[in-house]
Amino acid sequence: MARNRRNQSAAVRFGPTLKAFLICLVIGGSALGYVYQKSEIYKLGQQIKQSEIRLEELRRHNDALQRALASLCSPRELNERIQKMNLGLAAPRPEQIVRLPDGFAASDVSLGQRFLAGQRPTLQAQR
Amino acid sequence: MALAAQYRRLVVLTSLLVLALAALGYRLYDLQVLRHETLLEAARDNTQRTFLREPRRGDILDARGNLLATSKRVRTVCADPTLIGTNQAAVARAIAPILKMSPSELAERLRLRTWINDKGQTNVDKYVVLKRKIEEEDWQRIVNAMKEISFGVDESKLPKRMQSSYHYLRQRAIFVESDQLRVYPNAALAAHVLGYVGVEEQATRNGRVPVTIGRDGIEFTLNSVLTGVQGWCQTETDSRRREIVSLREQDVAPRSGLNAVLTLDAGLQHIVESELAVAMQKHTPISATAVAVRPRTGEILALANLPNFDPNKPGAVPADYRRNRVISDLAEPGSTFKIVVVSAALNERTVGLEDVFDCERGHFYFAGRLLRDHAPYGLLTVLNIITKSSNIGAAKIGIKLGSEHLYEYMRHFGFGQRTGLPLLGEISGIVHPLPKWTKLSISRIPMGHEVAVTPLQMAMAMCAIANGGLLMRPVLVDRLEDDQGQVIIKYSPQPVRRVISEAAATQMVTALKSAVATNGTGTRARLDHYMVAGKTGTAQKAGPGGYQTGKYFSSFIGFFPADDPELCISVVLDEPQHGYYGGETAAPVFRNIAERAGNYLAIRPQFRPAETVAAAQITGAVEAAAGQRQF
Repeated sequence: MARNRRNQSAAVRFGPTLKAFLICLVIGGSALGYVYQKSEIYKLGQQIKQSEIRLEELRRHNDALQRALASLCSPRELNERIQKMNLGLAAPRPEQIVRLPDGFAASDVSLGQRFLAGQRPTLQAQR
Repeated sequence: MALAAQYRRLVVLTSLLVLALAALGYRLYDLQVLRHETLLEAARDNTQRTFLREPRRGDILDARGNLLATSKRVRTVCADPTLIGTNQAAVARAIAPILKMSPSELAERLRLRTWINDKGQTNVDKYVVLKRKIEEEDWQRIVNAMKEISFGVDESKLPKRMQSSYHYLRQRAIFVESDQLRVYPNAALAAHVLGYVGVEEQATRNGRVPVTIGRDGIEFTLNSVLTGVQGWCQTETDSRRREIVSLREQDVAPRSGLNAVLTLDAGLQHIVESELAVAMQKHTPISATAVAVRPRTGEILALANLPNFDPNKPGAVPADYRRNRVISDLAEPGSTFKIVVVSAALNERTVGLEDVFDCERGHFYFAGRLLRDHAPYGLLTVLNIITKSSNIGAAKIGIKLGSEHLYEYMRHFGFGQRTGLPLLGEISGIVHPLPKWTKLSISRIPMGHEVAVTPLQMAMAMCAIANGGLLMRPVLVDRLEDDQGQVIIKYSPQPVRRVISEAAATQMVTALKSAVATNGTGTRARLDHYMVAGKTGTAQKAGPGGYQTGKYFSSFIGFFPADDPELCISVVLDEPQHGYYGGETAAPVFRNIAERAGNYLAIRPQFRPAETVAAAQITGAVEAAAGQRQF
């Protein structure tokens, strides 16, 4: 009898319990991980959607700014503004433009000096 | 006995259970096998959605990168009348002010319509377009208006089914589709080049889709490259039709259309259009056209027609205003055509600039018909024939050149065939084949009669003389770029053929310079800072029953600086008032455009204003020094 009690002990054996616990832990952990991942994917999806909406808004805003810029830079608009603001702006006439000859060096100051002295350099074609 | 009763009950119960299970099994079989496809489709319809992603239409830019045409994201507002039921009036009242429509018109559109298909089945229209091109802000206002809409009943006291129908009405009855609006920031600037767009509904797997399509101009010609490629997104939605992004199956981004960079220069185009507008006011012609071309490359820097239109609202003007007259209007060119016969004769060495022709004191009978000059000229050199624009002189040069040669050169200069400009509606002009020429033709064609050309053909012919004899294909599109600015296609200048030798072209330039610089017909085209070469033209308009009295096409085509041309400008006025000679109407327009264009393009001035007269005298000396050979 004593030998039977020794062989079939009522005490919980550690090995199988640990195994069962680990299996439950793995299954439970996997389930939780799966749910967590799903939740994260969903959240990420929401973030992607928000980012897409934001990107679309920014693109729309950018387009609107580009259109506004194009309108403001249009020759008609510029002319109207010049007239409205009465600035007296006009394109320079060819004789008002000083053309430097090719290869003009900073050290070659004679042309600049002559210009400052009131002697207009020649406007003859330099070809 | 009791046991038997128990057995009976057991059998009955078992039979009932088996029957119930069999019924359930059949139901399962019915749902999963027999009606599998239908139910699968219905289930998919409930959750799966395919959203089309419209590509952004490419921009059109000028040579300096200024935006000429771009696209704006807008919405098309649609309705599902099946969800609205009999509440059209309430819905119309709520959203009509936002859509800027009358409530009655809107209510009529929201009315439920049925139709019978080919199989005789009655269908209900669930898709009605209420208004296109609605701004995003307006759509948000519509959403808010639909949320707050009242149907005059206490909905909380209604049955659940009724409550949900009102809920669906508010949420789903009015919906939007993505669309885009083409915007032209410069309004009417270069309208005839840019063209305009329209909307067309195209049937796709996912229903009808509004597509923006070019209707005219570059918008039409480059429609396929500007349009881009549609993308799509296959995904699932929840019960409130919100997308569950994590369940996206396919997500293909649209590919934007390519940007077209034109050779046009918006600044120069504005100069040309504003000067034409001044001419329109001064001479009140039916129309005025101008084209500015870079002779060496054939690049078109400006192309203008007045009256014009705003491509943002192309329907606001008569169709006639939308016609690009530079390529689609035919007219006898008049004296500008003399450049063809003289160039041909110089190239064939039939004549030289110094050769003299008798211009018969302004009256010359040929083939039994009288040919007149506008002044009684006597002996004129070939150079002077161009300078004075003598019809009789040009006719005699033509006669000396011969019909075959004249016809051959006309074709070589590109008359009677399209220039190849990538715009809709270009016509080839009229050059009669040699067998159809009359005896009179050889005396009339040299002065620009019996042929019909477009202003662009004439300008390109003048460019051929300006650049040393090469006929260039007009270039309007410089390159195509992707949305990152990378060049996809670059269009190079294309010489069509050599028409005349460089020597003949140089002689021709000398003659054309004299027409402007000395006391020729084009002196009003003279510039302060550049030597101009050009030719005037005044052609009586042909109509039913012959030439029309008092109706003229007046033109001037010239280029500058004459010996190193940067710009060739053609100006044509149709029936100008207060003067009709090309030299007095079109030439000043040329001068105004050229002065501003030279300055704008920073073309190096050749001389100061005081030197202009001296330059004219030098050119005049050419004719004085000319030898004398009489015909």
